[in-house]
Amino acid sequence: MLAPINWLKQYVEISLPTEELMWRLTEIGLTCEKLQKINGEDVLDIETTPNRPDWMSVLGIAREIAAIENKKIKPPKTEEINYPKKDILPIKLNVDFNLFERWTAITIANIKIGPSPKWIQDTLKSVNLRPINNVVDITNFVMYELGLPMHAFDYDEIKGKEMTVLLSKGGEEFTSVDEISYKLPKNAMVIKDKERIIDLAGIKGGFNSGIKNSTKNILLHITINNPSIIRRTSISLGLRSDASAIYERGPDKGGTIEALKRAVNLIIKYAQGKPASKIIDIKKTDFRPQKKEVNLDYLKQVLGIEIPKKRILSILESLDLSPSIKGSKITCKIPTRRSDIKDKEDLAEEVARIYGYNKFPKTLPRGELKKEKIPYLKDHSVQNTLRNILVACGFFESMNYSLISEENLKKCLLENKNWARIENPVSKDFEFLRPSIIPSLILATKLNQTKKKIKLFEIDKVFPSEKYKLSGICKGITFRKFKGIIETILETLEIKDYKIIKEVKEKVWHTRRSARIVTNKTELGVFGEINPKVKENFGIEGEIWAFELDIENLKSLKSSKLFKDISTYPPHIEDITFILPEKTEIGKVINSIEKTSGLIEKTKLISKFKNAWTFRIVYQSQSKTLDDKEIEKLRNKIIKNIERIYLGRVK
Amino acid sequence: METEEILNLKNEAFAQITTAQTKEELENIRVAYLGKNGKITNLIKKIKNITPEKRNKYGRTINSTKQNIENLLFERKQQIIEELEKKEEWFDLTIPGIKPQIGSKHPLLETLKEVENIFRYLGYQVAEGPEIETDYYNFEALNIPQDHPARDMQMTFYLNLKDEKGNPKILRTQTSAMQVRVMEQIRPPFRVLVPGRNFRYEQVDASHGFEFWQVEGFVVDKDISLTDLFGTIDFVLRELFGENIKLRFATTNFPFVEPGVDTYMSCTICNQKGCPFCKNTGWSEIMPAGIIHPNVLRRGKIDPEKWGGFAFAIGLSRIVNLKYRISDLRTLNTPDIRILSQFK
Repeated sequence: MLAPINWLKQYVEISLPTEELMWRLTEIGLTCEKLQKINGEDVLDIETTPNRPDWMSVLGIAREIAAIENKKIKPPKTEEINYPKKDILPIKLNVDFNLFERWTAITIANIKIGPSPKWIQDTLKSVNLRPINNVVDITNFVMYELGLPMHAFDYDEIKGKEMTVLLSKGGEEFTSVDEISYKLPKNAMVIKDKERIIDLAGIKGGFNSGIKNSTKNILLHITINNPSIIRRTSISLGLRSDASAIYERGPDKGGTIEALKRAVNLIIKYAQGKPASKIIDIKKTDFRPQKKEVNLDYLKQVLGIEIPKKRILSILESLDLSPSIKGSKITCKIPTRRSDIKDKEDLAEEVARIYGYNKFPKTLPRGELKKEKIPYLKDHSVQNTLRNILVACGFFESMNYSLISEENLKKCLLENKNWARIENPVSKDFEFLRPSIIPSLILATKLNQTKKKIKLFEIDKVFPSEKYKLSGICKGITFRKFKGIIETILETLEIKDYKIIKEVKEKVWHTRRSARIVTNKTELGVFGEINPKVKENFGIEGEIWAFELDIENLKSLKSSKLFKDISTYPPHIEDITFILPEKTEIGKVINSIEKTSGLIEKTKLISKFKNAWTFRIVYQSQSKTLDDKEIEKLRNKIIKNIERIYLGRVK
Repeated sequence: METEEILNLKNEAFAQITTAQTKEELENIRVAYLGKNGKITNLIKKIKNITPEKRNKYGRTINSTKQNIENLLFERKQQIIEELEKKEEWFDLTIPGIKPQIGSKHPLLETLKEVENIFRYLGYQVAEGPEIETDYYNFEALNIPQDHPARDMQMTFYLNLKDEKGNPKILRTQTSAMQVRVMEQIRPPFRVLVPGRNFRYEQVDASHGFEFWQVEGFVVDKDISLTDLFGTIDFVLRELFGENIKLRFATTNFPFVEPGVDTYMSCTICNQKGCPFCKNTGWSEIMPAGIIHPNVLRRGKIDPEKWGGFAFAIGLSRIVNLKYRISDLRTLNTPDIRILSQFK
């Protein structure tokens, strides 16, 4: 909302310097961060909240300034209208109270269309409106001044001298007063004369009944429209006007007659017309000020301070809420323009904001704390452990968008299994909620492709399940170093006894170089190399290793760490080299060595030459020093097992 | 065995010891003379073969020789240690070290942890909820019915998924969606913090994004007041940004609070000189809040005549930007290692 300072000054004396005025307006709710210079005028640019239709008018803003400055408001004076004894230009209005709660109209004869006076033109220019002619300019001026949209029709174009408000069937052609054609959606609110649609109610007037230079007689009206219908229609047509913005907020139902009179006064003065009917005023109910109450004890409790009674009353008075007090009960008479004040908490806000939020002391709640755990409790302990490990392993944590394009998902060769899609995306680039974090990490690899070494990870929800995954991607490290990271993760969480199964369905992974990590019942995730086809799709080179693990499942298998006493007996350490057949799975070999006896503390692969694999084996007992004989027995058992199961032999 | 021979052995050892330069050399000398098979040790072993008349004198000579060698070894060792410390040498301490390759945590989640800790200190419990929401929890329950103009400020993404009533599910536009979800399941008093991601239909630029993070908080108790809300906001922002920040409160309107509060903090990016981030105002809108509207409490099955509450939402993405002086919101979602590695 634009409010020229000189225009405001016509209704209220302003003594605050402009910058301070802007902050005080912001403080009481009219966010005012910019001062514009339009047509040579200083103009406040105010963001108004949807609860305050009255702020969509210069007078409404002036009322707030009057409250800040504690000054009297001088609203424009209207003069009585000399109605004709008998309606000269009669009109019949057929109302539907579900659509219009109020319909206030008058006809005016013998208008002389021409330019409006310079002061009206200048005023309109200062709020970025283009002057058109005296009648249209006056309706715009009064709308801006009082916050009630009004419209003037060429009376002679209203066929049958009858107007009916109804809902469109959909598909009707409508040309607006600015000569733009629309195909109407279903259930738009329109006004028809005997033959045709002449108005898109609350949004734009029709071209067919608009004011032309030749117009002689007019019908001027103000309607109070169903705000939901206006909103739906203006959104579906993409047609937001100043009027529709006011209607969506719900303008002053009690103010139509005064506003109409104001416009009629100006039209008679500047367009030489003569009233040709009485004011027709059809209304659903009488719109009168409502009584609302607020208790001093409540105010003290909710505000946290005791504002003196006198001050409270003067604040309410300055807002024109006519307070009266009886005991601790204040009763206000709420003018119809303040339909936002519905209950005591609204009155509490009125008192607090004018008193000044920044004058309040600051306290902390003193109540007791809840002992029980709340629902939806957030437990990210595993996530935090994982983040610590990965950062120590040299990984950078990224946070990519959850939204991704279909193209990128397809480039990853992922298959659409109930992906969550946005019906109204900002762009095709951000249409899907990612079903996996891997595509984002592949894109990140591409972004960082000049780096020789890349280690990135991310812990986030995937969709639509909203389950947390831990994903990582690495470039520039060997497979064994990559695998070591996954082993470290599992070891830190004390997850043992998992199997590596080489059956991965998702094609984002290399068929031969990827596997699932599985325990008895639980799928922990997948790791391996990215499919060369996927790399080609993204234009990335080099070996790229990645993993995606399921946080919930990691959490369910995590066990607590228990301390194990350090053996006081010395270990016996020896290296054994086995010649093993090709395609032997070394992980399994180490597993079976370790399982040979509880006295084998640790087995480690230390070197490899051709098909000769050297393992370092640590024998140790918790209860005694192992002698040579016992060691030999164990060694023979190991060798026998390897010979039997893997067809290997000792070198 | 002659005493002379012992003397020679002693001189030999003395010569070696005085010329030795390192602790290792000394140790070798010790082993060579006094070790298990050392030259002196071997002489001691032979004492029993010597005639009793000579044995006494011989024994004394050899013992004193052993003692002398040991003493000299000790002295020389002290000298060498002394020299190690005093020796003139060139040692460049400015030469760059070789750093271990550690990674970094994302600044948004690190900041979130900090925020959560501050609130835990104030007795809040932390919750998290769904990002795929129903219109009911995101809007209706919060006093924002269909066709309410407040929906304009939160343009919504609709999904191809349906709720039980067959209405399209949405991506939540605000963490406030969790207020009624939590209220439905517990009784006051409570203090709850709900961090999380939200989505709004917005074109991406330096200060807008279609994904952003908020930290929602709400407290329901007896005697909750506006001063408690101001005090909480003040405490939390000063914990996060230090005592030097300036704060100011303004009235605003959200249908689910009344009175409504907006919080402006002095822009830390430009030190209030004016920058694109604060739209040249010197102030950043950072923490909208208010007293919970009775209608919302009713939806959460809480009697507004008995209980009251306040709620707030911290723009977490914005906090991170202000904290690290990042002027473009998109930075946090760009997985460029040159960016991420700055947060080590």
